[in-house]
Amino acid sequence: MKGQRLRQLYRRLVSGSYRSIRTKLLVCFLIVALIPLLSLGAVSYYQSAKMINSQFGKYGENAVAQLEQQTNSSLGRMKQTSETIYSYLLDPARTGLGNRVPVTYSEIIEKNDFEALLKSLRTDRTAGIYIITPSGYYYGESNLDVAKLDNIPAWKSRPASYQGTYWLGFYEQNHAMRGDDSHLPVLGLAVPIHHPNGAQDGSTILIEENAGELLHMFRLFEEDTKAHLTIKSPDGRLIYESASKFAPKKNDVIWERTLAVNQWTIEARLPAKAFYKSSGVIRSNTVVVAVISCVLAFGLAYVFSSRFTARIRTLKDSMQKVSFGKLDTRLPVEGRDELGSLDMSFNRMVSGVQTLIEEVEQSERLKKEAELRAFHYQINPHLLFNTLNSIQWKARLEGAEEIRHMLYHLTMVLEGNLDISQELITLGRELRMIDHFLKIQEIRYGEVFRYDLHCGESLKRYLIPRMTLQPLFENIFFHGFTDGVGSIELDVREDNDDLVLTLKDDGAGIAAEKLEQLFKPKPESRGRGGLGVQNADQKFKLHFGPPYGLTVHSTKGEGTTILIRWPKKEEGSDGDGKKN
Amino acid sequence: MKKRISLIVLATTVMVSVLSACGGSGGNAETSGQGEGGSKQTKTLRFATWDTGDALKIEQDIAKKFEAAHPGTKVQVEAYADGFDQKLAAGFGAANPPDVMYMWDFPTYHQSLEPLDGYADKDPDLNIDDFYKGLFNYGKIGDTLYGIPAGFTTRVVYYNKKLFDEAGVPYPKDGWTWAEFQDIAQKLTDKSKKQYGFGVRAENDTYDLQGFVWSNGSSFISPDGKAIDGYMNSKETAEAIQMFGDMVKNGSAVLTGGKGQQSGDDIFKAGKIAMWESGIWPLESFKQAGVDVGTVEMPAFPGKPVKGVLAESALSIAKDSKQKDLAWEFVKFYVSNDSIKMRVADLPVRQSVVTELKKDQDPLYKPFYAMLERSSDTPAFLLNPKWNEVNRQLSAAVEAVMHGASAQEVLNQAVKDSERYLK
Repeated sequence: MKGQRLRQLYRRLVSGSYRSIRTKLLVCFLIVALIPLLSLGAVSYYQSAKMINSQFGKYGENAVAQLEQQTNSSLGRMKQTSETIYSYLLDPARTGLGNRVPVTYSEIIEKNDFEALLKSLRTDRTAGIYIITPSGYYYGESNLDVAKLDNIPAWKSRPASYQGTYWLGFYEQNHAMRGDDSHLPVLGLAVPIHHPNGAQDGSTILIEENAGELLHMFRLFEEDTKAHLTIKSPDGRLIYESASKFAPKKNDVIWERTLAVNQWTIEARLPAKAFYKSSGVIRSNTVVVAVISCVLAFGLAYVFSSRFTARIRTLKDSMQKVSFGKLDTRLPVEGRDELGSLDMSFNRMVSGVQTLIEEVEQSERLKKEAELRAFHYQINPHLLFNTLNSIQWKARLEGAEEIRHMLYHLTMVLEGNLDISQELITLGRELRMIDHFLKIQEIRYGEVFRYDLHCGESLKRYLIPRMTLQPLFENIFFHGFTDGVGSIELDVREDNDDLVLTLKDDGAGIAAEKLEQLFKPKPESRGRGGLGVQNADQKFKLHFGPPYGLTVHSTKGEGTTILIRWPKKEEGSDGDGKKN
Repeated sequence: MKKRISLIVLATTVMVSVLSACGGSGGNAETSGQGEGGSKQTKTLRFATWDTGDALKIEQDIAKKFEAAHPGTKVQVEAYADGFDQKLAAGFGAANPPDVMYMWDFPTYHQSLEPLDGYADKDPDLNIDDFYKGLFNYGKIGDTLYGIPAGFTTRVVYYNKKLFDEAGVPYPKDGWTWAEFQDIAQKLTDKSKKQYGFGVRAENDTYDLQGFVWSNGSSFISPDGKAIDGYMNSKETAEAIQMFGDMVKNGSAVLTGGKGQQSGDDIFKAGKIAMWESGIWPLESFKQAGVDVGTVEMPAFPGKPVKGVLAESALSIAKDSKQKDLAWEFVKFYVSNDSIKMRVADLPVRQSVVTELKKDQDPLYKPFYAMLERSSDTPAFLLNPKWNEVNRQLSAAVEAVMHGASAQEVLNQAVKDSERYLK
């Protein structure tokens, strides 16, 4: 499942078809997150690495300085001891000290005094103080086997005519009289005595100091810093070297010190790799953290951008659906952000379009219906009119003047009714047709009703849908009046850009419940009356828009008032009338 | 939302780098602050000894037993070895001496030591009557007791039975004379094998020589401790010391322990000297080295009673000790039967232990107790507090004798040089 998704993603990325907002967002987020992250990581790494390196460097420096100081103090002590002994031996008062086994009482007294001095020079660290005479006799603790002195590596190679101090370096003290050698690590110093004509000329002062502590310190230093320690004498002799194998390199970190006492150089070499190890740890940590945060940033950016673009895509999909005609498509509104309001406006727009289309559909349907009906009623008008004319002629010939009049008026009414070539006609024409209709009614009922028309001549040129007033008058006569008795008042006036027509009668009126039914579309109903009002209303609305049309006020038994409002429109100003 | 995430990531990065930065330098912080806190409950008792090696190990074992028997006490055994005198003197000088210490040189140190009569009399646990009587003499200055005897030894002659058998010489017997001794030494000398009848120390401790001097009816110092002329350089004294010089000179004895010379103990162990004069100390090592060893009392000068010298080690309590009662407990524990039995390098100081172990029946040990009976004379250092100064001259004189000087001459010289110390 996951693999599949990844593959899908990969395919998208490779094919380049995914150059969407999402990719751009993702890249953008990553850049925004990664630049400060990486730069901060880099800065913190470089700073802490620098700090650690300098600290470690200082630590190493100090540690070597400490080694130097310790070694120096050992060497200094030994040198001082040798100098004390040397000056004692050069003292002219000490001539009693011979270079052979002392046998006489006075020699022995001298020897005892001298050895008491040697004893007093001993410290905790002292491993041996001897004065070895050329004869092989020596002064000092009686535990030295002179023959074994050659066990000291540097003893034999000691130059014969050496002046000053000769440092023997580190070695194991293996020159005890008794068989069991101590193997004690010591630091040795040999001082040849030059005292021409003195008994001790050619003797050597040998000072040995326990070097265990010093070597332990060296080892601690090596363990601590992983450095390689070497001590060399000025003539290049190797005094001490760490046990570990080591190949010196050019980029090694080097701490170096020179001992004040004998110019030995202490050199600690640390491979650059080891020196930078701790900062390397920081670096790898920083890299790990950076990688993790990159992955995290990528993941979050991915999730966020996909959430974001998913909404846009839903919007796009919905738009597509709408474009395919699925107008009932609605978007779930998520959140109150800009996208949410976009969703909301989209929904509003689609529902607006939907209602609009529904309205158009409805009106189209009604129009079609009306046309169809009209078509249905369209009897061949020529046949009708010719026949009516023939009858009229016949009535004239017969002298039936009344019938001829009726026929004449009927023809006029029908002519208006049947002429469907024009949907909008002038108000004057409609009013003339009403006159003809009323003449018929007059002939039919006699002069029992009154008709008052108030209409300015100027208003008669405005257009009105065809056959709108006649059905209303028919209603008055068929429902309102009994036997045509009553009065009708028609009043037309202008109200700004609109015309207002008031048709008032004092007939039977309409019951309240029936009044409600009046405007409800009921195409099935064949009942008379209601249809006229509704049709008229529809006609106004179709031609001029929903705000216009009829309003009916009626009180049962007192008459009905119908108000019609439509905009002023003149013939020729608009193509509407001619087109139809 | 994005911003918050980068902040968190950023904070993590910074934190990690800070943490790793700390890791580099944090290692050295925890060395201090230990070692305190426990000292309130546990009392530490310092015990100084001059012993080393096996003897030291035994003493440490005893200390551990004492710790087990006295919860809350720690005994710190301080092995001063060669530097015993210097370190002890330094401790007293700084008023910070060990609470309990080994002691032999009471004339030098008694002023820094706690008188023990009060403790010894009051404490019946000590069972003071069980000690060999003569031992208390060495721990007294005047009538005040400063040390409780912990161990002692007398000196006898060891002999290598194998060498005697090879030469067909009968083993020496108690009551023999120095003439017989020299004769046997001559017989057992075989220069071709570098084998000698006797070993003479090149650098003798004059203390050890007192037995011979006493046996010849003399002494290094007058009984009142005031005069050395006529004692240290008397004919009898010179004679006793000259005897050893002569033996070296005539080749029946070899010098040992000097510069370039092996120690007498080692040569005896190697079977190159037939007779050797010493205390109890090397006996165990001789046995371990596989030497078929015998012991015999010191020879006598004709017509004179044999005298022995006693080397005693005692335990003392420092006057400056802050916990004398605990120190006394330790001293008592150290000289209890159980502890004495553990200490094989010394002779038992209690008669009951000797009887129990039948030491006085053992032919190897018997001469030591016989010599104890003969150790009634008072050593020179107890008679004069300046003895250490005199001894320097005496030591040199004795050493010169061993290298061939005339005993009478060098002793006269030594007396002459030493007189000024006694005035």
